[in-house]
Amino acid sequence: MIETTKVVGRSNGWRPLPLIAAIGMAVSQNAIAYTSEDGTLEISGFVENATFQRNGEGLSKVRNTAQIEMAKTLGEVGRFSNVGVYGTFRATYDAVDHFNDRFGSSAGGSLNFESVGGGGLSTPWGASPLTTDQLGTADDFPWGPGGFGFNTTTNPNRGLVLLGSDLHDPDGGVTLGVPVRPCDKDSRGCIDDYMDADESELRSPEFNDRWDFVRELYVDASLPMDDGTEWSFRVGKQQVIWGRTDLFRVLDVLNPVDFSRHNIYDELEDIRIPMWMATAEKHFGATELFDDLNLQFVWNFDKFRPSNLGQGGSTYAILDAGNFFRAMNNCWENGCTVSNFAGGQFATDFPAHTIGIRKAHLPSWSLDNTQFGVKLEGETKGVGFSLNALTYRSHLPSLRGGIPARNPFLQDGLAFADPDGASPIQGEVGGDEFARPYLIAFDIHFPRVNLIGGSLDLYSDALKSVFRVEAAYTDGEEFANTLEPRLFSESDVFRYVVGWDRPTFIPFLNDRRAFLLSAQLFGQYLVDHERKSVNGIDVGMPDEELNHIATFLVKGWYKNDRLSPQVIFAHDFGAKATTIAPSVDWLISDNLRLTVGANIKVGDTTQEFDDCRACNPFPGFTDGGAGASPGALALRNLAGLEPLGRFQAGPIGMAQNEDEVQVTLRYRF
Amino acid sequence: MRVVKTIMAAALTTALSASAFAATEADVEASFYPYKNGVPSFPGLQAGMTIDQSNVDQFKDVIDSATFNFIKQGWTNIVVGETTSFDLHPNYVQATKDGLGKVKLGATSGEIEGFIAGRPFPAEPSMDDLRAGEKLAWNYKYGYNWGDNAAIYPFYWKYKDMNSGKLERTIKFNFHFLNFMHRVNQEPIPNIEPNPSQIFRAIYVQALEPFDVKNTQLLIHRYEDDLKRDNAWLYLGFQRRVRRLASGQVTDAFLGSDVMIEDFEGYNGRINDMEWTYKGAKEMLMPFYNHNDLTLSEEHKESDGYQFVEMAGKGDCFPQITWQLRKVYVLENVPKDSNHPISKRVHYIDAQTFTIPRTLIYDRKGELWKSWQIGQAHPDHHLPKNKGTGVAIDDSFTMIDVQAMHCTTGQFKGQVDPALNPTKKFTVQNMRASGR
Repeated sequence: MIETTKVVGRSNGWRPLPLIAAIGMAVSQNAIAYTSEDGTLEISGFVENATFQRNGEGLSKVRNTAQIEMAKTLGEVGRFSNVGVYGTFRATYDAVDHFNDRFGSSAGGSLNFESVGGGGLSTPWGASPLTTDQLGTADDFPWGPGGFGFNTTTNPNRGLVLLGSDLHDPDGGVTLGVPVRPCDKDSRGCIDDYMDADESELRSPEFNDRWDFVRELYVDASLPMDDGTEWSFRVGKQQVIWGRTDLFRVLDVLNPVDFSRHNIYDELEDIRIPMWMATAEKHFGATELFDDLNLQFVWNFDKFRPSNLGQGGSTYAILDAGNFFRAMNNCWENGCTVSNFAGGQFATDFPAHTIGIRKAHLPSWSLDNTQFGVKLEGETKGVGFSLNALTYRSHLPSLRGGIPARNPFLQDGLAFADPDGASPIQGEVGGDEFARPYLIAFDIHFPRVNLIGGSLDLYSDALKSVFRVEAAYTDGEEFANTLEPRLFSESDVFRYVVGWDRPTFIPFLNDRRAFLLSAQLFGQYLVDHERKSVNGIDVGMPDEELNHIATFLVKGWYKNDRLSPQVIFAHDFGAKATTIAPSVDWLISDNLRLTVGANIKVGDTTQEFDDCRACNPFPGFTDGGAGASPGALALRNLAGLEPLGRFQAGPIGMAQNEDEVQVTLRYRF
Repeated sequence: MRVVKTIMAAALTTALSASAFAATEADVEASFYPYKNGVPSFPGLQAGMTIDQSNVDQFKDVIDSATFNFIKQGWTNIVVGETTSFDLHPNYVQATKDGLGKVKLGATSGEIEGFIAGRPFPAEPSMDDLRAGEKLAWNYKYGYNWGDNAAIYPFYWKYKDMNSGKLERTIKFNFHFLNFMHRVNQEPIPNIEPNPSQIFRAIYVQALEPFDVKNTQLLIHRYEDDLKRDNAWLYLGFQRRVRRLASGQVTDAFLGSDVMIEDFEGYNGRINDMEWTYKGAKEMLMPFYNHNDLTLSEEHKESDGYQFVEMAGKGDCFPQITWQLRKVYVLENVPKDSNHPISKRVHYIDAQTFTIPRTLIYDRKGELWKSWQIGQAHPDHHLPKNKGTGVAIDDSFTMIDVQAMHCTTGQFKGQVDPALNPTKKFTVQNMRASGR
């Protein structure tokens, strides 16, 4: 099905202008926070407008936000002290689709697909050369008419964009058509319970069935013990933050993250997805050895939630994953056209249940699926440290191949006549679904990951610098791997960050106030990495065995800190991609802040990788009659930018054409 | 050869420190009760009078140069009050007596031996004593500045453009102080145990308003070993993380104010970071007063009726208080670090309380940069809970950047109250737990 009858519409009573007006009204009326007479109840908040303009695309964000924060302290309750209830409530409305028809219900269009073997032939969606007899009739093919093609009435050539077209031309590689309209407008490619946001949810993501408008709501309590130690408890919807580094999530992995808000560029504070968790922390205080020692237990008892990578067609989709997943799910559900696929030469119309993504296996709630962590944190001899252990579900998806899929070379209902006697599946009938090694047909899983790690920070007086180190070793993570029959494999991963902070005077810029220089180097080492070079292409794991990303921040302050310019550089060494993000914060008053910034990317993102067009998933058909086994390396000779090249481009590289100018105005009360 | 000479000089100086300048009980009495036998006077100066642009020249000798210029330009005036005794807590005085003859400087700056509690060097400083400046610095460090603990709860800082009078920012803080060692009044005495790193004193700061600094917290651990660098941490609400501070950040503008962390309380650093030079004793007008006798501000009035000190004058940069003619020691400190943003401070240390009510701060070129004033209120004329605590209550401040024509003013509600300052509040973990 494509267009559902579910109508949520543009209304909901939300419009951007009323919120902008509310900001104006709040400013003009000098709105203030509320504190009860006894001081035990405090309510504050902010309203904000964030408007971003993307180079060449128009507006990419017109988000209006209202946030309310409350704190109610109850003092002593029974044996407990410091009892309090704290909440944060957030509502946003992103009106970008009102202003830019690249997004929303009228996004996308019709597509043609490249066939490099056809002399530059370009054919519409669902009308590839193989299914329109441009390469001959069924009688010309050894497999007969086959099962290629799909119903373009239910899966029409509209509301589509080419996967990765923001970044590159097909260039002889595969491309897919991505349905890009909200899921209530076009349900194609929407993955149930994972990436299925309708128009109102895209505009106001907090108002979903997980009640995300309740951003945080928890109860705090402390329990003093007779020996002078203390237990503290926090139960409710919350963020639990581990680690000592900025931007990178090495230990800070307890909460999933909403990358759909602004890719990797928002403060984690704003994009962590709060979860219902309970923490219990034993404060030992000072001991004979430690100046401070604490032991924390964290139980995430919430129903699993993955990170939000951004849905196909939404304004921000980290790694462009949401578009890839949506395109692939549509392929599975409805069939799809893929450029330059057959023999690496011709656009191909795949029928449903052949290639693609079938479904996402989101762990249901059960005790086994909850997540548990322990942290020992303290301070000794000028060194702050933590030791961390966590068992959790990966917030990032793993694509596991090997799901039952049909053979498109067989017409429905017809028995298989193996032309070469090479197929391992004897006697199959067209339409039968079997697990087929090396076929690009996947389910999405969120594997369990076990993590151990630690962090420390210390100050070097000689260098006038603070150093921060964070490291974690995980097992259970899964990565794409075209050398494996199911096209993924597990690898232990070692990640680390070394950070350096130094306040430094730059007299010619400001002789009264030091600048903060802060650099970080993030490393990721895949312990069980696999990659080979065959027939001139790379096959195996597209992720680098060892990759580094460096960041560098220079931040200054003028006018008694009311004016603060900064620039952040981030460079992905493997992807050869760089982001430069200059911005200026202007604190107009104690309540009003204006931030003007830009986000500019430079670098080379056109990285090719084995795309498994030549993985021979249908022996006897996809080996040119050679009788080769599935996955035979000898056949591998096709690589492209999509889909696996994206893993090499990384989140910075995949957003290369998302240069933006950004203006944010926030009024705090 | 040069090394030998240096060692000999150090040994000689130490010997002199330990013998020629040894203190007696009479020194203790004189140190703690300098006005027992009468208060200082100056020709023409009377309690109740106002020193303003018209008559300031007459009192130039008893007014520090920065304040003199402020009055001379008509930016402010001084209302003179009676000189009163700010008796410190008797336990602190007794601890000083108990330590007589036991305390001496170590061989190098930043070292002290035999100190338990009280005022380490109660003897009158001598211009002949090459290390007199250091001793005064130790007396300040181990002073009864906030007693064993206290809180400024709340504490309003205001950033002002002195020319236009525009109020740029108002920041509301809570400040907390706790002595881990050398305690004299509140259990445990003398030290809080366990204390594996031998923390001498801790300061914990929590910013409450406005939004951009809300939930910002600062924690400073100063160690008993003065040669050991302070540890400091900052919790940033928008990051929800504790960040260890580099030392450079304690000599930088704190949250954009005109005050650096190193300026807190007059001087908030290690003794070993500075070269200390005693410049002599004087009788000068200092901002000492009875809070409850002032005409106070109606702004930020507390629910218990407490009112803060009013600000007025040029740019509203001057606390509306009264000044007393008091005995002060002039102490100069010069940073050893050549990259330090200042060239020197000139402190006017109150001889009775060893608080630092006035400091002049000079930039790297040697020109006056800032004027730092911390008003001291008598504890018996302040909040009821402060009565009898024997703590000179820091009660108002102004830091004036005379080059930028900018000031930061501070209005205190100082509370000497152990309940506000439990040990656990001074831990890094408390910052995480308190952060939202």
